[in-house]
Amino acid sequence: MVIMKTGDNNMTERKRIRKRIKVRNQSTGHDNTHTDSCEPIPETVEAVKERLGEIFFGCSDFLHREVSCGKNGLIKILVAYIDGFVDKKVLNRDVIHPVLDFLSNTELHVGSSIYELLKECVIVNNDIKEANDMQQAVDNIISGEALLFIDGENKALVIGVKAPQGRQVEEPDTEASLRGAREGFVENLLTNTVLIRKRIKNPNLKLEMMRLGKQTKTDICICYIKGIANDKIVSEVRKRLRKIKTDAILDTGIIEQYISDIRLSLFPTVGNTEKCDKLVAKLLEGRVAILCDGTPYVLTVPYLFIESIQATDDYYDHAYFATFMRLLRLTALLISNILPGMYVALVSFHHTVIPFKLMITLAASRQGIPFSPFTEAILMIIAFEFLREAGVRMPRSIGQALSIVGAIVLGEASVAAGIASNLMVIIVAITAICSFIVPPLIRATMLLRFVFLAAANFLGFLGVTLVAVAVFIHLCRLRSFGVPYMAPISPLTLSDIKDSFVLVPIWAMVTRPRILWQKNVSRRKGTNGQEAKAKS
Amino acid sequence: MGKVRISSIQLFLLLSGFLFGSTVILAPAKGAKNDAWLAILIGGACGVLLMGVYAAIALLNPSKTLVDILEEKLGKVAGTIVAILYVWYFIHLASLVFRDFGEFICSVTFPEMPMVVVIGLFAAVLLYAVNSGIEVVGRLSELLVPLIPVIMLIISLSLFTVHDFTAFLPILENGITPVLKTALSFITFPFGETVAFLMLFPHLNQKEKLKNVVLISAIVSTLMQVLIFFRDISVLGSGLMDRATFIPHLTSLIIPEFNIEPLVDINLLIGGGIKISVCLYAASRALCQIAGINDYRNLTGAISTFCVVLSIWVHESVLDLFSWTEKVWSYYSLPFQVFVPLLLLLLSLKKSKPSNAGTANEK
Repeated sequence: MVIMKTGDNNMTERKRIRKRIKVRNQSTGHDNTHTDSCEPIPETVEAVKERLGEIFFGCSDFLHREVSCGKNGLIKILVAYIDGFVDKKVLNRDVIHPVLDFLSNTELHVGSSIYELLKECVIVNNDIKEANDMQQAVDNIISGEALLFIDGENKALVIGVKAPQGRQVEEPDTEASLRGAREGFVENLLTNTVLIRKRIKNPNLKLEMMRLGKQTKTDICICYIKGIANDKIVSEVRKRLRKIKTDAILDTGIIEQYISDIRLSLFPTVGNTEKCDKLVAKLLEGRVAILCDGTPYVLTVPYLFIESIQATDDYYDHAYFATFMRLLRLTALLISNILPGMYVALVSFHHTVIPFKLMITLAASRQGIPFSPFTEAILMIIAFEFLREAGVRMPRSIGQALSIVGAIVLGEASVAAGIASNLMVIIVAITAICSFIVPPLIRATMLLRFVFLAAANFLGFLGVTLVAVAVFIHLCRLRSFGVPYMAPISPLTLSDIKDSFVLVPIWAMVTRPRILWQKNVSRRKGTNGQEAKAKS
Repeated sequence: MGKVRISSIQLFLLLSGFLFGSTVILAPAKGAKNDAWLAILIGGACGVLLMGVYAAIALLNPSKTLVDILEEKLGKVAGTIVAILYVWYFIHLASLVFRDFGEFICSVTFPEMPMVVVIGLFAAVLLYAVNSGIEVVGRLSELLVPLIPVIMLIISLSLFTVHDFTAFLPILENGITPVLKTALSFITFPFGETVAFLMLFPHLNQKEKLKNVVLISAIVSTLMQVLIFFRDISVLGSGLMDRATFIPHLTSLIIPEFNIEPLVDINLLIGGGIKISVCLYAASRALCQIAGINDYRNLTGAISTFCVVLSIWVHESVLDLFSWTEKVWSYYSLPFQVFVPLLLLLLSLKKSKPSNAGTANEK
């Protein structure tokens, strides 16, 4: 048996820990119903078993194994875990087997604690923690650790024998690239952190864990490089995450909506990516990443407008091409927003602006069309949006059929039937193609397009311009974690222009974005892990 | 309201946009006919000096708005009265620009549209800008004001083939008097109107650059005006130029094969928009300070509505508007633009001299 002579000490120790836990819980904003009472772990294994049985009543995946060992079979040990979550082989090999061996073969001296012995000498696993109260124990069990309770102890050992979960690292579907790493994030948080750590071998890469969601208790990880990321932004991220009060975090998309600066904006002020190399590049620019267990999408903040036209390929290729591509993307963004509106404005109001020959073609193609240009445009655009949505939701094997139907029905038949003009089909097609060029803003442009259309039908070019000015005002107004959304163009930051609509060669890009943090912008000088430590 | 800061480049662009303002559609020195370029140069030189006076006032009274300065230098009662007059002046100025805009759109682009709709929608958009704060207006100017010279360049280059470079001759055909008269009106419109910026100068984050920013923007816009005049007269000739209402617009219509008339609309929208935003901001900010209201946003809605109504009511027709602007506006503006600022400058110099001497001695 365990002989305890330091009971008082233990008690004070526990109180202290309990206090600390309380403080931590308050600071993380969790209001767990159990922490208030802070139920201790019963000393006898029987009681523990009973209590766990109550808590996990009806959970068929909760397993526990009781081991009686020692020379007289006096010492009872309870191992509790969730089925499928832990690697049973490893558990048997590293924990149960050595423990049984040890206890049946060793003479115990008075004064020695089995608990300490097991913890320090017997269990072969290298990830061992302690649970000091029932709530902690339960939390650990449901997050996939194995718990080891020993008779006469009011602590439990937490043994990390999680089985690897989820799919393999593979190339993400959403962000295809011609060049660069093909590894994408997966649903498992730890795999993701390893993917990041693999690329930034620096102890300054900090990963702060927290749990959100009253019911789901999802693991969230704030990731940044100390010394490069702005401390203010990091603490702002922490603050906003702690403010989230909800019962479930299922995806980073939910977090995104909670932490956005202006929650009702059409434009995204929080970025997301599935690609490791992209995330690493953002971290190295001084951005902060938020990872969430259960989703491959990682959030990056602050997210600026200019990032929507940046692609990872740009940096791996010659700067001329990248600059050209960026200008192209910017043009595409503009076109996908205003082209249908401009067309309607031209046809309904500004005949004089159209060159004469084009006017004849236009009139010929519109002959016999029963709708006004506005109605025609709305119908065609909505039809296109139907197609797009169907393409997203459908199984991929049917996609072919859809594209045929879309191309023939929308393209050919609608013109032949006299519902839409040829020119309108071209306009909608160009708009659609352009809208796919800047994926982060697809949703914003989708809605803005209708606003521009309506304005154009009402006021012609003046309407389009007024709406455009209003959108610009909105963009200038937006901030992402305190950073102006339209930076570096407005406010103009000359040193940051190098990576905006133009791109300088990578060897000339000697500074990190100044707009994120004024300090420590040089990419050449700067600190590695040791130096930073020495400084702090 | 917190600390609102605008950078020197933002102020530069705001000032330039403001100076372009309605001059994008109205040739301001029309009265001098062929010698308008001379009038622009003379007026511009005086305008630079005038804006220098405003900058000097701002520098001598750092981080104080016009209202603060007025109350300090003229005393509480007189200062408040003059400040209220200034509020009126800003409102009037904004409503005039609104009217210019409305007249242009309604006579050129949408002849059947009721003017109040055009002006009202424009006001709604600008209200959004002003309510977002002067910082946002500053950032907006960084995005939009650079478009003005680009569009002008496009128009000018497309007209390259139709230039008659001798059209501005002969020089001083009618003597110097009309030139000087026009120069005076050119000082008051657009340069003197920048007196509204006295409400904005305290927001500048680099005070030492204020003088340069003001002078450079004044010089740049003077030169631009001269260039635009030469373009217009060499394209239109003096006869047509004399008769046209919206000269730059008419010029853009002459471009062969293409019609890029809507680009002039955009220029007007940007220039006029910046001008009105600044005036609205200045008026509501000043009124807030006078009345002791914390947030100027409480007043912007009322003031801009008032501007819209005023812009419709104050003149019967576009001809009335133009003749009034030509004959009365300069003299009406003089006290606001020249006399009071000069008085303030003198008073500021007088009061700051002892302290200047003190610092000199310490050095």
